[in-house]
Amino acid sequence: MNDFSELERELKKLRPVQPSAELTSRVGNALANSEKGTAKVIRPEQFRINWLGLGLGLAAAATFLIFARVDFHPNDKTKQTIASATPSLQQKAAALPNYQATGLTQVVYSKRDEGLVFPRGAERPSRRVRTAKRETLQWRDRQSGAQLAVSYPTEEVTLIPVSGQ
Amino acid sequence: MENVATHEDWKVCFSELAPGLVLFARQWVRSTPDAEDVVQEAFVRFWRRNLSIKNRALLYVAVRSAALDLIRRDNRRARREVEVFGEAERTVQPQFEQLDDSQRQLVAALDHLPRDQREVLVMKIWNELTFAEIAEALGISQNTAASRYRYGLAALKKTYQPQ
Repeated sequence: MNDFSELERELKKLRPVQPSAELTSRVGNALANSEKGTAKVIRPEQFRINWLGLGLGLAAAATFLIFARVDFHPNDKTKQTIASATPSLQQKAAALPNYQATGLTQVVYSKRDEGLVFPRGAERPSRRVRTAKRETLQWRDRQSGAQLAVSYPTEEVTLIPVSGQ
Repeated sequence: MENVATHEDWKVCFSELAPGLVLFARQWVRSTPDAEDVVQEAFVRFWRRNLSIKNRALLYVAVRSAALDLIRRDNRRARREVEVFGEAERTVQPQFEQLDDSQRQLVAALDHLPRDQREVLVMKIWNELTFAEIAEALGISQNTAASRYRYGLAALKKTYQPQ
């Protein structure tokens, strides 16, 4: 038995005053206005990560950074590749249509200057540089997220025109 | 009171809850018009978010939050509210209908209660919230809510002698 039951009964006899009649109509108007307002609002779709776009972006950024970091002293205009043991990245990607290339790592093990050579049809001699590298290519399956990495040695011979200075 | 927890019609819910909500809002604001503004804002906010009326505690959280927002909106007003709050402990009276002398005495005793106890009494007696709901709305434990209720009633009993 509650000692305060009589007191609680007395308190419950007190009736709070009714709010003004306007209040209900004001709430009704506010709710109606809010419904109209929300009907006009074009809600943006909930933020979702576009994994495909993110993957493509990351792959492009990684590829760019990798190539940017490899220090090719001669620039593209002066460099002529006469031999390469590796197929192009596009060819590799084409072989795996479901996979998205996500990274390329090139580690240069040796770079040897083989001296001056006279390429066929060239007016000036060129310096032949042989570069031994190890390339690691990575792909990611767009659907399953499975990753594939292939690592292999490569050798590249570059002819650098001699300026004659 | 009708069981509003089963109603999804805002008018039914509001007509049942409004008197208690306004009384509850008066814990923070000085005037009935302000309390009605607070209740309007909180109820519209609550209903617009499609919150279930079964979770009434959130409605009281919304009222509390709207009342505090109202106070913060105007710093000058907030200072005034804070300044008078000590006095308000003794001067702000919940508004009840048709009081006789005995009831006036009871209301006066109620006004002398510490705010945290009076708050729980208002929620329990005139809003019919459970201790679990009160605890959720006030961010306290159920035991604390029940203790405040008991302390409030005990304090009332000391000062109020029914005729």
